[in-house]
Amino acid sequence: MKITFFLRLVIISLLSSGFVIGLYLVSNHSIHQNNPFIRSYPHHPITRNFELNIQYNSYYIAGYVNDKLYLGNTTAPLHLIEVNLKTKDTTHITIKIDQTDLPFRSVRVKLSSPHFFVMDGYVPAIFRGTIGNWEARLWMKEKFHFSNAIPIDTNKVFISSNATRQTVLGYIEKNKNFNIHLDSHLLEPQIDSVFSVDGTMIISQDQKYLGYVYYYRNQYTIMDSQLDILTKNSTIDTLQTANIELSTFSNGGITTLKNRPTVVNLSAALFKNLILINTTRLGKNDEAKMLDQASIVDVYNWQNQTYEFSFYLYNKGKKHAREFAVYDNYLVALVDNELDVYNIETNRFR
Amino acid sequence: MLFTYNSKFIAILAKSMLILLFVYAATNKLIEFDEFNTQLSKSPIIAAFADWLVYVIPITELMIGFLFLINWFTTLAFYASFSLLIMFTTYIVLIMKFSEFIPCSCGGVLDQLGWGQHLIFNLVFIIITGIGLYQVDSIKPLK
Repeated sequence: MKITFFLRLVIISLLSSGFVIGLYLVSNHSIHQNNPFIRSYPHHPITRNFELNIQYNSYYIAGYVNDKLYLGNTTAPLHLIEVNLKTKDTTHITIKIDQTDLPFRSVRVKLSSPHFFVMDGYVPAIFRGTIGNWEARLWMKEKFHFSNAIPIDTNKVFISSNATRQTVLGYIEKNKNFNIHLDSHLLEPQIDSVFSVDGTMIISQDQKYLGYVYYYRNQYTIMDSQLDILTKNSTIDTLQTANIELSTFSNGGITTLKNRPTVVNLSAALFKNLILINTTRLGKNDEAKMLDQASIVDVYNWQNQTYEFSFYLYNKGKKHAREFAVYDNYLVALVDNELDVYNIETNRFR
Repeated sequence: MLFTYNSKFIAILAKSMLILLFVYAATNKLIEFDEFNTQLSKSPIIAAFADWLVYVIPITELMIGFLFLINWFTTLAFYASFSLLIMFTTYIVLIMKFSEFIPCSCGGVLDQLGWGQHLIFNLVFIIITGIGLYQVDSIKPLK
């Protein structure tokens, strides 16, 4: 009597527990494999290390070498800040280039150790110098117009260009001669061939992987340094087709955007086999008011094609993070006139 | 006779506490239904099922409370309470182990409890249910 009674309780307990665990497993599986736009926010994947007031909101991330983060500035093109993320020391750097009389318009500095590149796709011109010496010499001039560029090797620069009236990805390589490789099949146009394929170019710290994340739809592409596609994937967002409307002026045939298309992916970062995507799009279980304080970063494993987890990237006032990156154990974000440095939970970011 | 009297008394006490608990919890969930709904859909453990659990949970709680009021179903109600409490407890353990983005969705005052306290609270109620169940079972064993 007593024994059967307790046995009965044990069986009920096991069944009840099993039921909840079953719900959890199924729910978990559907969230990671086949996500219906539900986010999961685990225990502190990142923790704030320090923030630094950098005075201006015109800084962008130029690169990272051995604990030192370099920030370039769009309004002072030859100026860099070097921030030692370990010691928090900052140094101001002025770059010298050997030809200053060019029609510069949009200069960007990007690092690819041991070099740094000063690039302007409008001229077009690329200068190259050595990190630490900060004197750059003309490396490429008037070969090919590009709109964005990231060096991925000593002699190789990953570019996007719409010189052909269509946005394409490619690279410029300099061996004995220049080799410009463009691949018009990498990006998939939807409504038009410029706006609908607009997005962010990203590279991993080891420069092995390149990524392209579309602004206006839930897709991204990962490539190797030869621009061979490794994977094309969708995020947990549900917007598959960019909602772009165009209007063409009757006189000059100039086409512009008629509406403000929904931005699905604001910015992104690659870290090993993970891709991190910053967004302000609300999932089923997000509250709208949290966007007053933060934006959301969704983390995917692009190799396994799974959604991993999400975390908040906090605002400064009402300003969302405009750019972020992950290097070694750090996540750095530029928010308004501030540099925010976080430590990542390395067990999570694998 | 004395033993039976005590058993009955203990059973009634346990029964009353469970009725109070479930009706209170269910009522609070229904009063603040929207909040309960968002909390549940944020839960990392069962988010995918939140759509229907949001109805199933309070209805089950109310049903158990109702079953307790009918003598015929007292034993069944005790077993159901036991099962439900084990489920809630498993949920708490899962939350504490796997995640901390923790929306408590218990309703009312119970929301104020930390997860550790909540676990103890549940364990106490599981013991109460067990005792109650033991009493009713010894009076009128389930077939």
